[in-house]
Amino acid sequence: MVNSGLGGHIGTDANFTLTTQTGYSPPDAKPTTDQSKMQLTAEEQAIYDGKHGELLQKAIRTVVAYGELFSANRLVDLGGAPHMAMSWGTDAVEPFLKIYKQFADAGLKTYKPFTADPKPMDNEHLDPGPKKRAIVDKIYDREDELQEINLRLGMRSKDDWSCVCYVKEMGNTPKRGDYLAWSESSAINYANSVLGARTNRNSMGIDMLCNILGKAPLFGLMTDEGRKAPWLIDVKTAKLPHPELLGSAIGLKVMEAVPFITGLKDFLGEVNDRTSGWLKDMGAATASNGAVGLYHLEGITPDAIEYGRKLLSDGYQTYVIDDAELKRVYDSYPNLWKDPHHKPERVFIGCPHNTVEQLREWGERIDKGLKASGKTTVACPTYLFASKYVRDAFQLKYPNVAKSLTDNGAVIALNCPMMYLSTPVEMDEMDVTNSNKTRVYTKGRFFLDEDLVHIIVTGELPPGA
Amino acid sequence: MAEIRTFKGRPALPGDVQGSAEVSHIGFNTCATYVDVMISGTKSGVCQDHDNKDLFGRDLADKVVCVPQTIGSSSAACLFMTICEKDIAPKAMLFANHIDSLAACGLLMADNWIDKRIVTVDLLGPDFLNTVMTGNTIRVHADGTVEVHG
Repeated sequence: MVNSGLGGHIGTDANFTLTTQTGYSPPDAKPTTDQSKMQLTAEEQAIYDGKHGELLQKAIRTVVAYGELFSANRLVDLGGAPHMAMSWGTDAVEPFLKIYKQFADAGLKTYKPFTADPKPMDNEHLDPGPKKRAIVDKIYDREDELQEINLRLGMRSKDDWSCVCYVKEMGNTPKRGDYLAWSESSAINYANSVLGARTNRNSMGIDMLCNILGKAPLFGLMTDEGRKAPWLIDVKTAKLPHPELLGSAIGLKVMEAVPFITGLKDFLGEVNDRTSGWLKDMGAATASNGAVGLYHLEGITPDAIEYGRKLLSDGYQTYVIDDAELKRVYDSYPNLWKDPHHKPERVFIGCPHNTVEQLREWGERIDKGLKASGKTTVACPTYLFASKYVRDAFQLKYPNVAKSLTDNGAVIALNCPMMYLSTPVEMDEMDVTNSNKTRVYTKGRFFLDEDLVHIIVTGELPPGA
Repeated sequence: MAEIRTFKGRPALPGDVQGSAEVSHIGFNTCATYVDVMISGTKSGVCQDHDNKDLFGRDLADKVVCVPQTIGSSSAACLFMTICEKDIAPKAMLFANHIDSLAACGLLMADNWIDKRIVTVDLLGPDFLNTVMTGNTIRVHADGTVEVHG
């Protein structure tokens, strides 16, 4: 169990489907705290009073009520461009489809063209087989409707489904200080931390309302105070730690608080194409084993470069992470397979979606592993996940690696591995992954990179696993 | 005569309701609780979160659900709206802590967009969860006062 310090155990163990993410809540509020009333501009007040129609009135009233629950005193104009998490069309999203259709029918659009999370399935590249496919197609039978409505509301194109919207190949890259109303935990984490943009951890629905209005209530991670860190994470490992293990350890410890992480500057250097994948994966793990929406990395991330340890809150706590602590975390991951020692059925790499450099690294790693064993093709079906734009850029920039990846039998798929493995007929597959997020939300087993190469090359679990 | 304990919280979505308590001492995972509703469209308010030993298998429809706060995927908002549309929602959600942003989104969306209010009170304090027990009769008042009839 994980204690949030908020008055009770709110988390759970290190691996259980759909757990441990909270949104945001102020820890020290009291019921006697005066309920703030938001100060609206004349333009906002006109919308609030219904002068721009009933739909927008309803939207802003919902957004204002949302902000007032968190003591926001005003709305701010949004910058950058929206990114939204809703990407699956099942019956459960019917209420949203109805609302979104009303906006689309009224000709309303988001303040700028938006991107959305990857779709749950990519039958072209990751076909579960005819029997499962028939069931899955029935479960996601509103997928086309969702895409059609999204495109009318301002989605950039039918190819813009990826959780890693912020890489240059996708181009939805907010600037430092941009206010956003995003709703994908890993993208929120990256935008806040690595890009220095400002967004809360929003849920589906409120994201669309804010992005139609182009405004969001100012509270939490959008404020200077809300970006302060009550935790100092002192990393004392012998080498650059595995990002997923480090993020997992941090998330389990701090839950939804902001961590200030030190000890990585010498390993990582700066934010660039080579390190962005590591930062993305570390952050995503903090947001899947915990609910971290923002982290600071001493000397590396923009807020930490500007303000340094002034970002630490008074009375901050310290958590030291060394190699032994990471091993303890790794050893705590349960094996949820129905047959714990079964041969892996598939290898899933990249959740969140891979960057171009990560596709290159894995292409080279797989090729090297196969050649060292005198083999020419993968022994276990292997899938690397990325957006269409990243895949195309990888193929252009590294044609030889891309060709070897294909020749070796690995496949680049465009969907979300986590959602694939959360779907009823697929959730019992005994698949392995390099992603803590996939591990947390599914029954997939997490393995370190060298063990995954062993599985890819031999088709067998590593010794002792 | 049964003892009555009174707690004062913040009426996030005010209303007067009375019902039977269902108490969770760990975070209420909205998605895991209603996973069958989400995937299969089941019309059942029975909690499917087998990690939640307090609520697993219990029918939460028309009950007063008492929790520290909610946890789980950002699709929580969707689930609150869906259970309201299917008439399997609790009568009230009572939070010991400050309401979290994911639950706030869902409860507000249901209230404002499909006119289904789950009466919501937060900031009831940790002592509330130490006092209330599953099966207690709860009276919620529009000013955020919560009576626990033990």
